[in-house]
This record gives sequence, C-alpha cells and structure tokens, in this order.
Amino acid sequence: MRTEQVDVAVVGGGPAGLAAALSAKESGAEHVLLIERGERMGGILNQCIHDGFGTKLMGEAFTGPEYAQIFINRLTNTGVNVKLDTMVMDISSDRELVICSSDGLIRVKAGAIVLCTGCRERTRGAIRIPGTRPAGVFTAGVVQEYMNIRNLSVGRKVVILGSGDIGLIMARRLTLEGVEVECVAEILPYPSGLARNIVQCLEDFEIPLYLSTTVVDIHGIDRVEGITLAKIGPRGGIVRGTKRFVKCDTLLLSVGLIPENELAKKAGIKLSPVTAGPIVDDHFQTSIPGIFCGGNALQVHDLVDYASMESEKAGRSAAFFAGAGKLPSPSIKVLPGQGIRYVIPHEVSGNEPVDFSMRVKSPEADRYIVFKQGEKVIRRMRQIELAPAAMIRMRVRSDRFQRSLDSLTVEVAD
Amino acid sequence: MNEGNIVCTVCPTSCLIDAKWDEKELISIDRAQCKLAWGYISDEIFDPKRVVTTTVPTETGKNPLVSVKTAEPVPKHLVLDIMDTLAVVQAKGPVNAGDVIVADVLGTGVNIIATSNSD
Repeated sequence: MRTEQVDVAVVGGGPAGLAAALSAKESGAEHVLLIERGERMGGILNQCIHDGFGTKLMGEAFTGPEYAQIFINRLTNTGVNVKLDTMVMDISSDRELVICSSDGLIRVKAGAIVLCTGCRERTRGAIRIPGTRPAGVFTAGVVQEYMNIRNLSVGRKVVILGSGDIGLIMARRLTLEGVEVECVAEILPYPSGLARNIVQCLEDFEIPLYLSTTVVDIHGIDRVEGITLAKIGPRGGIVRGTKRFVKCDTLLLSVGLIPENELAKKAGIKLSPVTAGPIVDDHFQTSIPGIFCGGNALQVHDLVDYASMESEKAGRSAAFFAGAGKLPSPSIKVLPGQGIRYVIPHEVSGNEPVDFSMRVKSPEADRYIVFKQGEKVIRRMRQIELAPAAMIRMRVRSDRFQRSLDSLTVEVAD
Repeated sequence: MNEGNIVCTVCPTSCLIDAKWDEKELISIDRAQCKLAWGYISDEIFDPKRVVTTTVPTETGKNPLVSVKTAEPVPKHLVLDIMDTLAVVQAKGPVNAGDVIVADVLGTGVNIIATSNSD
C-alpha cells in the first residue's frame, strides 16, 4: 500500500470539513488533505436549497448551495489537496488512516486529524413505529435529496412525523411542488424546530401542527394507504379515544439526527452518551491527542454558521498540534447543571476565551444562563426565550476562569 | 389600534415580537433583540414578502436540476404564482450560480437566479 504523509487530514467535505481544512491551511499547516466520500464538496448543503444560511457568520441569508460555494471558492488555490469519491476505511489512534478510491488503497499518516463526518437521520426502526412495511416511508433528508437533486417525486399526499427543521422545510417544499401535506405531528408538547421555520413553512401554508401527537400505526401492503395518529399523554402513553386514521400515500420522518461517529469509535475516541459525539476540550480535541472533531459529528447544530465557526477552531487547533505536537491540557471540567442537557466543550484549559454551546432540557422564558465555579458566578446572561430546539452560544473571556478550580457548572437560573 | 405577537424571521433567533399598529403604520414593537425587526414586522403587517427557492430542470449538465431563488423577497401572495411560472421553465445551456434564469418574474422587478452550477 502506498503511504502519504500529511500535516492535517480532514474527514468529510461538508460545511464543517471545508471550514476545518481552510483554517488548518490558513493557520500554517502545509499539507492539508480533505477527504470526501461523495462526488462533490458541500455535503448536505447541496440539497438544502432554501435560504437562511449565513445570517450569523456573514450577516446575509444564502441558500445552502451558495453558502457551500463561498467556502469552496475560498478553498480553491489554497493548495489544500481535495480527494473526492474517497472513503476512509480505517483509522487508528496514532493518526493513521486507510483511504479508498479509484486510485486504490492509500495509507495516510497525519500530524493531526479532524473528523467532520456529520450526522445521520433517525429512521422508522430507531423509533419503532408499529404497522405494516409498505413503500412510501421516508426520512425527510432522503426526500430532500430526491426532490432537490435527483428530480424525483415521492408521493401525492403526505403526513410528516416530527417537527424538526428538515421536516418543516420539507413541508413547505412539498407544498410548493403541489404535494398535499396533510399535517405535521410532533410527539413532544412543543415544536422541535426553530420558530422561524414554524412560521415560514407551516403557518404560511396553513399546514396544521399537532403537538403531543404521534403515528401509532402504518397501513398498506405495497404502498402506504394511511396512518393512525393518536394523542400522547404526559407519561408517554396513548390517550384513550384519540386514535384517528389519516389517509395518505407517504409518511415523512423528521425524528432527529444522530452524530456519525463510526470512525471515532474505531479510533477509540470517548463519546458522550448525551450528544453521541466525542468528548472534546476547548480546542475541539477528542480524548485521543491529535484527533479533533467539529460540526454535526460533534453535536447536531440548528445553524450551519456555528458548525463552520466550531470547525474553523478545530482546524486551527489541528494545524497547531501538527506543528507543536501538543496543546495546553484542559484542567477545568464543564458540567451541565439545572435545566441544561449538555454543554460543549466538556473541558477547558481556561487560558483562552471559550465559545460554549449548549441546549436546555425544556422550554423556558425569561431566565438566566449562569456559569459558576464553586459559588462564584463567572458569567451570566439573560435569555428571553429558551427552547431545546435553539442552541445557545455564550463566550467566556479567559480572565473569568478560576484556574485553581477543577470544575465549572452551567445552569438555568433566575 | 391592533396588537399581536409576530415571530421575526430575519434571523434564526426568531424573536417573538409584541407589535402595535394602526391602519397605516407600525406604532411600536417590544422584545426585539436587534433593530432589523422593525422593518420586517412592518412589512409582515402591511406587505409580507418571502424569498422563493426551488429548482428548475437543466437542458445539459451532469445534474438534472439547478437550484434557483428570487434574488429579492417577493410579495407573499405571489409565491404560488411564481411556482406555477417556474413549473414550465427549463434552464438553457450550462448554468452558473448567479445566472438569471427568468428576468422580472411576474412583473415584480425581481429576477429568478440560479443558486448552484449545472455541473
């Protein structure tokens, strides 16, 4: 097997990988290799033809393909080596990859690796919907690819389960293409997608959203002929007498995304049971020195802007590691407190400012996000609206950290 | 005077705005986290607009479709009419992002432009 030596290898050519490769190069890494298994860069952005990308990072709303193209253009002529149609077959904890393409197998020895492998959709099997197994049950992202890339139609009358952003976006997309969207059902008592998408994708087209409601049966032998909806009570059971049949030929599932970390597992990287992504420090370094992670592989984002920003830092850190062989070690553990589901990074050194990202457990109004070390509050910010669907980002300056203490707690408080 | 809650969709923060307005103009807004909300809420009450994004088939090119959008937000009541107009449009020749696919769609003064390349 041929062997190649690189400074930084980035796995995945979506928005996170593009940002990581660019910043690694700009931070002085000489040989940067970007590995993409698809036939083009841009990842999932290519099928996200709706607009609204980039408002946080660039102050302007772009469509997905436009957002991707900005990064692809910046990458051109930087000398980053891009390998398309190339799959990573193996990874080891000493930063060796085996990659496969039409050129055959190549061993890549990397000074540092950034994993930007994105996430995958949860399927029918993952949420165990009872019923028959007819054609016509799709995940929302698959339908997005069929409609927006391949010019394929999926059905005439659709029910969408799950109010995640992709499901909402597809409700609008299907309606615009003349497909009847019967309703969106959401098992939780509140929407899983951003308020912006509820307005623009459902309310604009008078598509009903049924909360605390789920699909409890799928009907049809060859093709979906309908589904049964039912109300779900506070303890998760079906509310008696609320079952009703809805005729449709297609069921779309927008029931969550799971970070894709098969490679990370292979390398022996420690994953968080809450996010399903690696445990990282403020350099986005995983539990294995020299292997970094960013984007949806680390945590599922609602905005690509933050996936880009996070991976930019991961790429910069990787370039630094490839040169220096190490990074400051983290000494402060970051713990989610009252009302917080998770916080990233999981540990920090306290020597540099840190952009924390976090999600709350349940919707709340007019509360504070409080960073505490011992009894001392080191940062606090009022939040008018808190929702699990909206990731919160907060910066803590380096002089705020109490480096003599070994932990920091983030909580929702009055 | 009218009042109501309107979600600002300028950015993903999605502020829930308390707005007051009369027949002619927006009078006040509350709970906005930035100054862009005023213009959006005013438009949303008196002249709601949306960016339409969709695809059109390509004549040549590796991909069967190119993605397109209205270069500016257009009146909301025209969204479905614009979709009807685009239903019969095919992009000619190789297309690059930014190319005008339909000029001045439905007399709005707004062009339909490509947002991706045809190959």
